[in-house]
Amino acid sequence: MKNIRFIWGLMDKVRWKQLLIFGVVAIYVLINLVSPLIFSFLIDNVINQEPITQPLLLLLANLVGSVDVIRENLWIGALLIVGLNMILGYVIFIRGKWNAEISETVACNLRNQLYHHLQLLPYSYHVKVKTGDLLQRCTSDVETIRRFLAGQLSEMVYSVLTAVIAIIILFNIHVKLAWIACAILPVIVLIAFVFFKRMQASFQKSDEAEGVLSTTIQENLSGMRVVRAFHQEKYEIDKLEKHNAQFRDLTYQVIRNLAFYWGGSDFVCLTQILVVILFGILEAQAGNLSTGNFFVFVSYEGMILWPMRNLGRILSDMGKMTVSIGRIHEILDTPIEDVKTGLMPDLKGDIEFKDVSFQYDDGDTTVIEGVNFTVKKGQTVAIMGPTGSGKSSLMYLLTRLYDCTAGEILINGVNIKEIQKEYLRKNVGIVLQEPFLFSRSIFDNIRIADPVAEKDQVYRVAKIASVHDVIQKFDLGYDTLVGEKGVTLSGGQKQRIAIARTLIKDTPILIFDDSLSAVDTQTDAAIRNELEKMAGSMTMFLITQRVSSAQHADQILVLEDKKITQRGTHEELIQQEGLYQRIYEIQTSMQKVGD
Amino acid sequence: MSTGFQEKEYNADSLDTGLWKKIINLLGSQKKNLYLLFLFMFFVAVLDVVFPILNKIAIDYFVVGKGSHDELVGFGVLYLLLLVTQSIFVYNFLCQSGKIEMGFSYHVRKTAFEKLQLLSYSYYDKTPTGWIMARMTSDIARLAEILAWSLVDLVWGLAVMIGVSLVMFVVNWKMALLVLMVVPILAYVSVWFQTRILKNYRKVRQVNSKITGAFSEGIAGAKTTKTMVLENHNLKEFNALTKEMREKSIQSAILSSLFMPIVIGLGAISIGALLWYGGNQVLIYGMEFGTLMMFTQYANQFFEPLRQIARLLAELQMAQASAERVLTLLEEEPQIVDTEEVMEQYGTVLEPKVENYPVMKGDVRFEHVNFSYLPEEPVLVDFNLDVKAGQTIALVGETGSGKSTIVNLLCRFYEPVDGKILIDGVDYKKRSIGWLHSNLGYVLQSPHLFSGTVKENIRYGRMDATDEDIIRAAKLAHAHDFIMKLEKGYDTDVGEGGGRLSTGEKQLVSFARAILADPKLFILDEATASIDTETEKVIQDAIEKILTDRTSFVVAHRLSTIVNADQILVMKNGRIMEQGTHEELLVLHGYYYQLYTNQFQEDLQRELLGA
Repeated sequence: MKNIRFIWGLMDKVRWKQLLIFGVVAIYVLINLVSPLIFSFLIDNVINQEPITQPLLLLLANLVGSVDVIRENLWIGALLIVGLNMILGYVIFIRGKWNAEISETVACNLRNQLYHHLQLLPYSYHVKVKTGDLLQRCTSDVETIRRFLAGQLSEMVYSVLTAVIAIIILFNIHVKLAWIACAILPVIVLIAFVFFKRMQASFQKSDEAEGVLSTTIQENLSGMRVVRAFHQEKYEIDKLEKHNAQFRDLTYQVIRNLAFYWGGSDFVCLTQILVVILFGILEAQAGNLSTGNFFVFVSYEGMILWPMRNLGRILSDMGKMTVSIGRIHEILDTPIEDVKTGLMPDLKGDIEFKDVSFQYDDGDTTVIEGVNFTVKKGQTVAIMGPTGSGKSSLMYLLTRLYDCTAGEILINGVNIKEIQKEYLRKNVGIVLQEPFLFSRSIFDNIRIADPVAEKDQVYRVAKIASVHDVIQKFDLGYDTLVGEKGVTLSGGQKQRIAIARTLIKDTPILIFDDSLSAVDTQTDAAIRNELEKMAGSMTMFLITQRVSSAQHADQILVLEDKKITQRGTHEELIQQEGLYQRIYEIQTSMQKVGD
Repeated sequence: MSTGFQEKEYNADSLDTGLWKKIINLLGSQKKNLYLLFLFMFFVAVLDVVFPILNKIAIDYFVVGKGSHDELVGFGVLYLLLLVTQSIFVYNFLCQSGKIEMGFSYHVRKTAFEKLQLLSYSYYDKTPTGWIMARMTSDIARLAEILAWSLVDLVWGLAVMIGVSLVMFVVNWKMALLVLMVVPILAYVSVWFQTRILKNYRKVRQVNSKITGAFSEGIAGAKTTKTMVLENHNLKEFNALTKEMREKSIQSAILSSLFMPIVIGLGAISIGALLWYGGNQVLIYGMEFGTLMMFTQYANQFFEPLRQIARLLAELQMAQASAERVLTLLEEEPQIVDTEEVMEQYGTVLEPKVENYPVMKGDVRFEHVNFSYLPEEPVLVDFNLDVKAGQTIALVGETGSGKSTIVNLLCRFYEPVDGKILIDGVDYKKRSIGWLHSNLGYVLQSPHLFSGTVKENIRYGRMDATDEDIIRAAKLAHAHDFIMKLEKGYDTDVGEGGGRLSTGEKQLVSFARAILADPKLFILDEATASIDTETEKVIQDAIEKILTDRTSFVVAHRLSTIVNADQILVMKNGRIMEQGTHEELLVLHGYYYQLYTNQFQEDLQRELLGA
């Protein structure tokens, strides 16, 4: 039920077509049931001149006068056949067209919804999740649902309608035999149901194996350099072999189940036909059933049974679809971030961290513990500390990529938990250490946050980020495509483009999350020089490993093992025993070697 | 700098026989299963003909002819036996198809993956991962599915049609012509639709891959999207894509939905004509009724597979589109390969003859090396370098100055366009790629880890390493301490691409991995850039120890890390600007001096001031 409501919701504007399509299918069923009768009428009664036993056909014959009229004008019969098939063709066309419109609309809406949802899922979700698996859900699971709606749903309706109409006709002919003819239907439905249950589990296994397989390939491709450098090609092939064979075997298991179902249901259906034939013969021999009606019974029995059996297959596809919907629901049911509600206060002001602690939502990994500090508006703060000390997480708290679990963070006196996230992030620019560039031109990447930005604006920020000259050297300059389908940029180039694209927004608060790490010191200094010119209006956080970058900051925070251990200016800290002094000594001593 | 990727496309709009020959060749691995499949199919078909005959007997003999009860029992038993046989054949027939589908996709995927392991590095520089992924997953799956289920149906359907036509011509050629008169029209219509459906399908596929790309970007770039508040912007673009997909798909579906009614309509015309002409023959000219009866049955049998063929042809075209994509991958040839003689002696990459590998000393010589990624843009010009075993070479220069190129050449990811690279005095092309790589250790700027545990990732450096070896390597890389702090220590799952570790931690693990490999040639590519200074210092110490007895190339931005190098190469625009030790270069007061003083100017001043 939940699934039906889900799909119904996605159908949106084409719902009426989905309802009408049932009517279209009904016409299709009628033509299918009637046309063999008409054909045998033409062959047996008209051409072979057998007497008419069917009351329905008699009516039809009397419509045009008599059977003789048709016999003398055989073109009427021929035309009837052609006409009937033309209608059939038209019905098939409409069914195909509408099915496509319905299924594509659902797929389109579902994709949009998934994409939208993915974008709004919290950062912590994206850290944990496997991209290959997620991608599979967004593509092949959507495809499974689309395919079901594109054909199987109306086929299912076709099966049920055929059975219902045929059974009604049979009951009108011979009640007792009709009961026998229907006896097997519950059994078939039961088999279908059991089968459908069994398939769900094995489909899921096969799907999961496929996910593992594609993750393996994906990782091999993205790590090709490592594979080559360590000469592990053979190991990689063996690894794939394992997953490849597993996927093959599990999927084969699915197909074998299917084959068993088809074979088994063949057995059941044919047995049922045999039973009808035997009883029919006995009844006919007893004189309770005419030859013509016996013929109707045997041919309609087939018409009921085969689609019913097909119902099993469709149900199994529905099983696939249920699995897919379930997997999609796992994404859609994950709560998204609320980026729209909250205050929109002026953020040009002091920033205060009060007793801030942060734990991952697993509840036992503490990342930050009792951090206190205040930054005056327009100050620059450098944050240094060893790997894993919580520097990045501290800054993520400020943009609410994570929310602190204890204490509070105030900007201009307002607790950031009350501030609208979208507004907050628009005002807190952050340049990530490993920035992601989108597949488009460098120009569009830089102005991505401000798509109407003019050339001179883009150039200005690119110059500040010391990347303008580099870009100009490319053949296509700013039009060079980057990202998945574009040129490969070095880490430093990426970082500098990321800086430029963040600067284009002119935010009151700016965070550099070790985002100059891949840039050489000379360029680093040049960028900082430019940034210093902008300082004053802008509060800046600088996560860095370089004393040369940190030394000009108004305040330096040293973060060690989740806590702030030292704070002060460069001059103060180099006098103090501690990490900063050690770093300073190391970095300057290396330079002394050269003298 | 590599240029944008251009997708190669076959341009055949109709069925391409050359292509299908290759596909059939690929199917060769399933030959035995295919024979079995056709055998089962034949039996199923025979039984399909037998059952209507049985029904006819039921009417003629028992209902009309009042056969005895004993005979009825016999009839029932025979029917039962046949239906059991039928069920068994159907089961086997389907299993066989499944076996072919999975066997084929398994085989092609395996072959393609092996190919991918051998393709030259340049291939990966110009081919997006998503492009390869699509071929390795959905295209192979679709091709296998269609081949196993639809191609088989098609072959069968054609066989039935040919058989029926032959019989009809033998019995009554005039009426046979009547049935077959629509075939030329059908053929014409089929071709017309076929080309259009294929074209449409291509368009749909193109949009589809754009959507997949957008999803993948949406997932990979989620963090960036969040921090820059691009949600709405991205969504708008994505909605435009899905809308396009919807329209193109509906167009394509309408086209396919038109085809089937046309086949049905033409078939009806044929049967109608048959009825009219044949009926008159019976009624006026006294043709045997049985003949007409038979012909109507044959006509139905003839058109039944044709209805299927409409669907099958459409699927086959899809298969062809997928096959084109898969084959471009399979037919890609590695640019860098060992010569026959080298392979003879040292084995191939996948089957190395390790016992023949000479021990590497580690002397490296670049002799008059020229190199360019693109013919018109030379990157290295007449590059010469002599490195003694055990020396440490520091490569210094701006991004794009050619540092990475030297590394790429040394690793034989690329080969010199001109000139030679000698290792231990022998051109490295005369030894195998496997030999070189098994002596190589490599730590990258952005370290790449695989899904799995920390231990597995370190073991990647040397598969036969014991747990003790791994811990020793981790200790040397100073990764041991942080690993022990992880929840499950060495058995902690690092997540996809090592995503659960910080960049610095990933780097430490990748160091341990390289140390474990115990290479003769060690390459550090800007590796120390994102480790905090303290950790960097300890690693520096460790590395210095490791580098003894190893030839090493260090690409670094930070001069402090390379001050101790035996030789420093200052690169600019693909040429060595300056070469020598730190002291020698400082004395030159050249480019290096400039770089150096720029970097430490402030520090120096501060020190002079006694701060």
